Amino acid sequence: MLSQFDYVKPLVLNEALAALAKEDNSYVLAGGTDLMIMLRHNAINARHIIDIKGIPELNELRFIENEGLTIGANVVVNALVDSELVKNKYKALHDAASCLASFQLRNRATLVGNICNASPGADLPPALLVYDAVVKIASVDGVREVPLVEFFTGVKKTVLTKNELVLSVFLPDPGDNDASCYLRQTRLKGHDLSTVGVACRLDGKGKVAVAIGAVAPTPLRLKALETAINEKGLSGETILWAADAINEHIKPISDVRSSEAYRRHMASVLLKRCLVTLTGKEV
Amino acid sequence: MTVAELKNDGKACAMDTAHISSARELRVVIDLVVNGERVIEEIEPNMLLLHFLRDRLKLFGAKEACGEGECGACTVLMNGYAVTSCLVLAVEANGAEILTVEGLSKGNELSILQQEFVFQDALQCGFCTPGMLMSARGLLDNNPNPTDEEIHEAMAGNLCRCTGYLQIFNAVKRAAEREREEREE
Ligand code: FES
Ligand code: FES
Repeated sequence: MLSQFDYVKPLVLNEALAALAKEDNSYVLAGGTDLMIMLRHNAINARHIIDIKGIPELNELRFIENEGLTIGANVVVNALVDSELVKNKYKALHDAASCLASFQLRNRATLVGNICNASPGADLPPALLVYDAVVKIASVDGVREVPLVEFFTGVKKTVLTKNELVLSVFLPDPGDNDASCYLRQTRLKGHDLSTVGVACRLDGKGKVAVAIGAVAPTPLRLKALETAINEKGLSGETILWAADAINEHIKPISDVRSSEAYRRHMASVLLKRCLVTLTGKEV
Repeated sequence: MTVAELKNDGKACAMDTAHISSARELRVVIDLVVNGERVIEEIEPNMLLLHFLRDRLKLFGAKEACGEGECGACTVLMNGYAVTSCLVLAVEANGAEILTVEGLSKGNELSILQQEFVFQDALQCGFCTPGMLMSARGLLDNNPNPTDEEIHEAMAGNLCRCTGYLQIFNAVKRAAEREREEREE
């Protein structure tokens, strides 16, 4: 039995924002796949639930050429998996969406919920990070945009204040000749967060971007490593060097999913596999 | 300039636009369709869909095992898509169509999918079976010609502690073939 709360399902955004600002202990409900678990464990004291699924503008999933892809707060993960456009333009995101939790959960879980939950081992953030995703946030005081790299502040912590609601995530159009992938290591397919998850992107200009999950309190974009790789040039030798060097950029811990040593090993292996996949280089 | 409106229509989550009320409520009336029959009930908002089905409607097919979306024993179809009903509030199902394992057979006649679970020995204790059947139903309704990989993917959220996974896979695959044959007739 869940503790008692009241429930409201606004049909317009302003109503939702007003409800959120009005009372403490208000929680936003979209897919609910993380929220229900927190309620069940009494991990949060929710007195008011604001269901945002009645707000049509949050259903937006739209791509505009030369601009980019907008993913609204109500867009479920399987909608991304089913999208040919996401598969062709944002392969890493498609990979990550395809391996998130189980099929049933992907029918409910939203991408925005996945980032708001801010689990260090979440699958979607690394894929979003290599695409320079921007988070659009609203409250009664107005709208602000925060780059995803600045969005996570710690384990299960984000820059969101309790009055704020994420409207959407925006990914710039990567243009043509852009390739990316997301690879993860997990204990059990279909049920677990990743032990380590690595996203790599090779953009149209031949520049590499790397992001990684489950090796620090927040998902990380490894800018320093990217710069070094790009300066060296993407040879087989560089790939081997990078697979080694990645360990200086991460701070994994040991927990139920893995030891620190294994995480370090897998970060290295996955980075190598990603770069080999993207470049076709032999190592 | 291309503007692509991507498909985000049929999914269980974004789809449900039924309105309750903009007032905060501690009791709500929900109006939904369960296994083809309209149901109107007053509930508290903290009631899970799983408990609504089992305790209120006495539909005991969906099982509660983990209660956290890990095992799939509570799987039902919501607006045609498989969801774990332990992670859905009953109030979220307002306006929705719910299908549980009880809605699969026609009277005493088992559906093709259920028959194949019997023929392929896809159940032992049977505890996971209602959830397995509903995940499979959700798959075949949305994708009548699934590849082996798609079957594995759709069923990966359902655990079987008796571990007859191969038989379960075979049952779904065979059911897909038979349903296809039946449609072509
Ligand atoms: S009881 Fe719902 S997934 Fe296990
Ligand atoms: S048949 Fe026993 S749990 Fe699956």
